[in-house]
Amino acid sequence: MAAETQIPRLRLTAVSKRFGAVRAIQHADLTVRAGQVHALVGENGAGKSTMIKIVAGAETADTGEIEWDGSPVRIGSTTDAIALGIATVYQEPQLFPELTVAENIFLGKELKKQGRVDWATQNTRVVELLELLGLPAGYATATVGDLSIAEQQQVSIAKALSGDAKVLILDEPSAILTDAEIEVLFDVVRRLTASGVSVIYISHRLDELFRIADEVTVMRDGRTIGTYPIGELSVRQIAHLMVGEELSDARPHREVPAGPAMLELRGLTRTGKFADVDVTVHQGEIVALYGLVGSGVSEIAACCYGIERATGGTLAIAGKPENPRNPEHAQRLGVALLPANRKVEGMFGFQSLAFNISAGHLRLLSKLGVFVDRAREKAVALDLIKRLAVRTPHERQPISAMSGGNAQKVVLARQLVERPKVLILAEPTQGVDVGAKEEIHRLITELAEEGTAVLVVTSDLPEALRIADRIQVVRGGTTTEEFGPDAKQVDLLAAAAGGSE
Amino acid sequence: MTITATPPAKIKNLPSPVTGQEIVLIGVIAVLWAALAVSTPAFLTAGSLQPLLVATAPVALVGVGMTIVIITGGIDVSVGAAIMVCSVITAKTLVGSDVNLAVAVLISVLAGGALGLINGFLIAYGRVHAIIITFGTANLFMFLGLQIFGSGTVNGIPGTLGFFGRGEAGRTLGIPHAFLITALITAAVWWYLRHTAGGRHFFAIGGDAQAARLAGVRVQRRVLLAYLTTGVLVGLASCFVIAQGTSTLDQSVGSGKELAVIAAVVIGGTSIMGGRGSVLGTFLGALLVQTVASGVTQLGWRSQLSDLFVGIFIIVAVGADLLRARARRSR
Amino acid sequence: MTATTLEKREKTDLTRLFLTQRIPLLAVLIVIVVVTFFINDAGGYLTAPYDFDYMSAALITAVPLAMLGLAEMLVILSGRGGIDLSVGAIVSLAGMLFGFAYGEWGWPLWLAIIATAAFGALLGAVNGFLVSYIGFPALIATLATFYAYKSLAIVVNNQQPISTEPIQQLFSLSRSVELPIIGQYIPDVPLGIFTFLLPTVVAVWVLMARTAYGRRLYAIGTNDVAARWAGLPVRDTRFKAYVYAGLISGLVAVVTVAQFASARPDAGVSGNGMALPAITIAVLGGVAITGGIGRVAGVVLATLLIVWLNAGILLAFVGNEGSQYQLLALGTVLVFAALLNGLTNRKYGGS
Repeated sequence: MAAETQIPRLRLTAVSKRFGAVRAIQHADLTVRAGQVHALVGENGAGKSTMIKIVAGAETADTGEIEWDGSPVRIGSTTDAIALGIATVYQEPQLFPELTVAENIFLGKELKKQGRVDWATQNTRVVELLELLGLPAGYATATVGDLSIAEQQQVSIAKALSGDAKVLILDEPSAILTDAEIEVLFDVVRRLTASGVSVIYISHRLDELFRIADEVTVMRDGRTIGTYPIGELSVRQIAHLMVGEELSDARPHREVPAGPAMLELRGLTRTGKFADVDVTVHQGEIVALYGLVGSGVSEIAACCYGIERATGGTLAIAGKPENPRNPEHAQRLGVALLPANRKVEGMFGFQSLAFNISAGHLRLLSKLGVFVDRAREKAVALDLIKRLAVRTPHERQPISAMSGGNAQKVVLARQLVERPKVLILAEPTQGVDVGAKEEIHRLITELAEEGTAVLVVTSDLPEALRIADRIQVVRGGTTTEEFGPDAKQVDLLAAAAGGSE
Repeated sequence: MTITATPPAKIKNLPSPVTGQEIVLIGVIAVLWAALAVSTPAFLTAGSLQPLLVATAPVALVGVGMTIVIITGGIDVSVGAAIMVCSVITAKTLVGSDVNLAVAVLISVLAGGALGLINGFLIAYGRVHAIIITFGTANLFMFLGLQIFGSGTVNGIPGTLGFFGRGEAGRTLGIPHAFLITALITAAVWWYLRHTAGGRHFFAIGGDAQAARLAGVRVQRRVLLAYLTTGVLVGLASCFVIAQGTSTLDQSVGSGKELAVIAAVVIGGTSIMGGRGSVLGTFLGALLVQTVASGVTQLGWRSQLSDLFVGIFIIVAVGADLLRARARRSR
Repeated sequence: MTATTLEKREKTDLTRLFLTQRIPLLAVLIVIVVVTFFINDAGGYLTAPYDFDYMSAALITAVPLAMLGLAEMLVILSGRGGIDLSVGAIVSLAGMLFGFAYGEWGWPLWLAIIATAAFGALLGAVNGFLVSYIGFPALIATLATFYAYKSLAIVVNNQQPISTEPIQQLFSLSRSVELPIIGQYIPDVPLGIFTFLLPTVVAVWVLMARTAYGRRLYAIGTNDVAARWAGLPVRDTRFKAYVYAGLISGLVAVVTVAQFASARPDAGVSGNGMALPAITIAVLGGVAITGGIGRVAGVVLATLLIVWLNAGILLAFVGNEGSQYQLLALGTVLVFAALLNGLTNRKYGGS
């Protein structure tokens, strides 16, 4: 290939970065060529985001070298990166909804003519950008808030390109898009590469890499395992490189009692989010729902808990068909849910630990349903604190002062006040230290042993394998394959990320 | 809204200069004027319309500043007290010394600017909630105003400011100067907010101050400027207030004006959450409120009923906006 | 990391206590204010004696102030920009209803009071409905109802106050009484303190500190989204906060009518109105404008501070000057309270 001989646009050699005692990346290499799409893949925590931040100037490498068009450069800040022509589009569009597309693109660097904004020139430039992206010129003066998420993402890309970008970093651009929208995104990426822009493309969806990427670099445990032309690999091979040699998991096999079905989803559908989902969780069983961001897993969980409502299919709790109207209703039906986003959906920041545990169970913890039974509240809180081994001086400690692992245990404790029949755990160990992770896993197993039906919604593959009795893979908004506890990571990843061909 | 489906054939450089809410407001005002013209023949005469336009001016003028403040995501509930301070300073100056119109206006504007600067400085650099801090400065301004008042009223104010008043001296070709000046300032600020980078930055700050800062917008300076502008306009509006009154200024001047101004801004379609708004809407909102007030009196109803209509207008105007936003979200 | 922060925390514990815990700060300020005026009094700088009798008599102004401060606390606590600009207008309008019911229709006093409180709650329910169920920003919804209620109060009786015989006799409610048993050792206390303020303070305290509703209100004010995920009835809880605020305003209407011996159509909105001082008291009492933080004791202490400060200022100046310096004091205190809140949030408020 011609690309082999030309000088790469961007080359990172033996880059390392530490955060305190944690080695985020070590001796990582990355070579990006002009006009190519370079995919960067790896499991959560493999070091992708640190790598990207170093390229984008948001972090500086401790050691290693960076070359731009063959000559060594230093990227010490985001300004340095932008000056070189490196632009980044993050997952969440950071736009001003009340301003037009053109204004968003030029905010803070408006083109001026005699003191006023030169709308005409600005719009001409924007229309050029929009054409490059294959978007209608009318977008230029549309208000961003009127656009769909996918359209807003395209605006973000246009904004990133407005500074004459030569390398564009797309951080999981497809996660929030529908299939049709992904097609549009791919068109955009192809147009860009045709015009000489290099794209660093980060994605969990391995199947789509084959449609868009030229080369792929695989990361694992902070190291770059290797860079390969995409044609030399299959989804399975990439998955294999990502998970590495499988250690035989020392988990003792659990005897699962054959209890009745406590949570049963049959053909459950929510238009536009997921369709035809079949899941059964029996009493005492731990089932993992494993899917990538955007696959619909989190929406399925939300439906079981009444945050969203199903539009089709059936949902049965303890054998009775139900459709929870809201979380309150779901709780009365015996469903509890540990939310994925602890800070936003779980914690009452500056309130005490006891407050955080008793919230949502005040009817139970009140006399006559009106007055909070504070002695009982304290007893329940202390009991759960002990049981979950929450490390805290006393139950009056504000939750915001606690570590991630401890705070997560407190939010989990809330779900256990009224022993639920069905416990749904969304990303139970995200942002939690290793020790706490271990303890939370042990606790989940204990709960199942005591007869709770547990559904773990996770994108953490080792976690799913470690605690689940069965693993249900969700892809493209529907349940696909089911695996037992002996499944291999590589099979699961391949199933979730793009066909087991 | 469906841009994807029907891209406009010709690209305009900017979205429509007039928002839907403003067209509705123009329509409502037109209907009211027509209805009033039919029911009270005296309404469409100069003798009735001129006072209406004069009375609209101060609220609309302060509303221009308040609109900018609210666009940045702030609010200023001290404008009523600030009007009192500026009015009494200017009135006392007029009584005590033989200053001309220009000097009187300058004094009032400087006083207003100083008060606006205090608010702006506290809010931009003290990082406190605008509503709380301006509640506080409202009390301080009121103290200041009452101290200058001394006890009782300012009497015997000369007609120096008659240029802005209700009388013959206050009109050119039948158009009241106060109204004309307000309209011109509204137009100028409208242009500034729409066509300059600085103007657009106010909207960005109201949308997301942190993101605006990262994009290179000098947020604190802009916020300071918003309150300073409001103060300056309060100074000019105070001259209108003195001119419209008698030769006596009493201590109730400006009282409750902050809510009237906020009402005009809100009816005009500016979002109290910041990021969106238009001074043209505010101008129309003030005109609508004044039309109702004047109409209610001319119909022989109790004048206080007009406040009920103001309340209803606020609910309808903001309610319609909420429904629009909801429709947009569910798209 | 934890070790060093802990150490640092211990060092600044006392500063932190005064900056983050509003109640000790207010208590200290009250002592400073009272002692200052006692000293001034002893030095003969005041126009009349500032003693316990005077302080006790001044408490009559604390009744509406503290009650409405608590009403504001409830709605501000509920979060999402909660605020109620309409409390003064509710006082006016509900006061007119009380005037009619007790002064003209000859209802028994207890029934008239209940009806007035219920009417206040209804007016508050309009606010709550607009804010919680429709999604209006509280500032807008209550600005609109402020105008509407104020207008109705004035129009309903042709701008005329109601001061018939029964209403005039209500003035006796505002008198000071000697307490039983300990009464001879302490000054007489205004009756309104016992009939209206204390029951309201106790009721709100029980509501906030002891009931499940109070917990829910703190929860939705702290984190609206988490409250939903925890299965709390978010809308219903926020709605009720406005209803309670209206209910308290209805009771204040009765107090105000008794104080003026007349149901005045502009009772709650004349001059500065009643809403702004009430919000000031709430903020000064440590209620966070962002919701979720605020205690009854803080509001009560803030009221006492302002009432005794104002009472002293009245004696320190001759004539109108006193009421003007009250504005200065209130404004200064509020600006500093706001700056202090901003500072403590940045220093100790986590993220």
